Amino acid sequence: MIKILVVDDEIDICDFVKNFFEERNFRVFVALGGSEALRILRKEKPDLILLDIKMKEMDGIQTLERIRKLDKNVKVIMVSAVEDQDKMEAAKKLGASKYITKPLVLEELESAVKAHVKEGKNV
Amino acid sequence: MYRELKKSGDENRRGWSKVQQWMIDKLNDTEGALIPINPEDIKKWPKPEKDYQVFLENASRLMIRFKKPERLIKMIVNVIDEQLGITHTAILLYKEQKNSFILIDSKGEGGVKIPVGFIRMTFENPLIKIFNERKNYVISENGVLVYEDIAALLKNKESLAKFEELAEIIELVLRQMDLLKANICIPLYYKKSLIGVLVLGNKMSKEKFTRQEIGFFMTLANDAAMAISNAQLIESLQYRIDEIKDLYTREHRVFVHTAIALAAAIDARDPYTHGHTERVTQYCLAVADELDVIPEAQAYKNFRETLHISALLHDVGKIGLPDQILNKHGKLTKKEFEKVKEHPAIGATILKPIKELNDVVREVMYHQEQFDGNGYPEKLKGSAIPLVARIIAVCDAFDAMTTDRPYRRGKSPEIAINEIQEKSGTQFDPIIVGAFRLAFEKKKIWGNTKRHHL
Repeated sequence: MIKILVVDDEIDICDFVKNFFEERNFRVFVALGGSEALRILRKEKPDLILLDIKMKEMDGIQTLERIRKLDKNVKVIMVSAVEDQDKMEAAKKLGASKYITKPLVLEELESAVKAHVKEGKNV
Repeated sequence: MYRELKKSGDENRRGWSKVQQWMIDKLNDTEGALIPINPEDIKKWPKPEKDYQVFLENASRLMIRFKKPERLIKMIVNVIDEQLGITHTAILLYKEQKNSFILIDSKGEGGVKIPVGFIRMTFENPLIKIFNERKNYVISENGVLVYEDIAALLKNKESLAKFEELAEIIELVLRQMDLLKANICIPLYYKKSLIGVLVLGNKMSKEKFTRQEIGFFMTLANDAAMAISNAQLIESLQYRIDEIKDLYTREHRVFVHTAIALAAAIDARDPYTHGHTERVTQYCLAVADELDVIPEAQAYKNFRETLHISALLHDVGKIGLPDQILNKHGKLTKKEFEKVKEHPAIGATILKPIKELNDVVREVMYHQEQFDGNGYPEKLKGSAIPLVARIIAVCDAFDAMTTDRPYRRGKSPEIAINEIQEKSGTQFDPIIVGAFRLAFEKKKIWGNTKRHHL
């Protein structure tokens, strides 16, 4: 079963996305902040991470930096509000594969996740 | 999470009256209401009663008065959540800037509740598409989409045959409702266009929604659509009005009027040069008509405006001169003249703190400079003197020559213009003198001493 990790400091979003992907036969872990995300990354080795840019404790870019120190290859999709788009350059340099802007179209989220997981599995 | 449904009539009554009271409270505070209601009028309204029939009648009357659509939406979601015990409720509204439908408010259990601001739906979305094209009325008499009915329709090959071309989209709609965990989707129309969608989950009691309840949602949705549209219209109109007003005020009115008021104040202090500022300003603008095209003019951010304001304010520094000099009948002594020579610098100092007058300051500072370097305060020469200041210098001198003074009579315009011509290339810039003569020939410059015309 493909494992994905959802990182967002809004619990409603975590719950909703977890539910959404579990129904599509993914194994879903959620983290409400950067340090929790790193802990789960070490333990569970997810195939893909959905990472929110704007978070209180440690933002998405800082979290991504720390993720890269642990794992150079895990696929990361950034989720951001339109006003955070300037941070996307930094995220790209750190090897984020894609970004999706909120509010998002659910089908696009689903197809982005599926496409990136497939790509990873084929290697 | 699960709340026992309020089956008892008493409690139900209390629920509805609570919501109605909430609305009345919000309307009494002028912030929420478009038109604050008179407390006397409220007394005449029927007491909130047994069921949502009565509530609806009152609600639709109150709703139209809400100024902020968000408050209204929150109220609708609250009412549904409180009264019917539904797993989750959400409202999507059309937002022009994003050209899609955005989730504005939602309530419900964790995981099922759709987070606010997280999703959007475009016109490509089958659910939005079917509502937008009003095909929902083909598959459901009242336009409301109910999950069980659609699922049943898809299973029944016979009835499905009737909507052959719709079969595909109906299936996609059902998948959308799965996605949203929606049991009912109700469109919000205003003047035939889709402005939103009300999404409802299942009843916590697992019962089906009754016809009466669906009717209730429809009425609520219709009233809400109208209120939301009104509020949005007012909001966007207000925004546009404010924007235009702001621009107009800031860019121009205050600016020019302040300058005119200041100019009038300067003129009022100097009884012998009555109307001087106004005439100089008009002469300057007449000269500008002849000069607009020269590159030096085009280098200004706004040449005419800078010239206009500078001409109005060129003598503002005279405010700093003592009355006995301004009102003196005879010729000025050398010492008094030295004092007068300070007025351009005083003017510049007065205007400097005003950010909007940035471009004007140096023009006021140098309007007494002469083309050959014999002027004041800095003895600047030629094109080192800014263009606007060079124009003011000519117009200022012409008006002074043609105005009566206590110790001399004013010259005729013809004599004055000859004098200006003689000083072309020495005291005055020849280009400006040329333009000045053209304006004079077009009778846009007339002089202040009409009785000397002969």
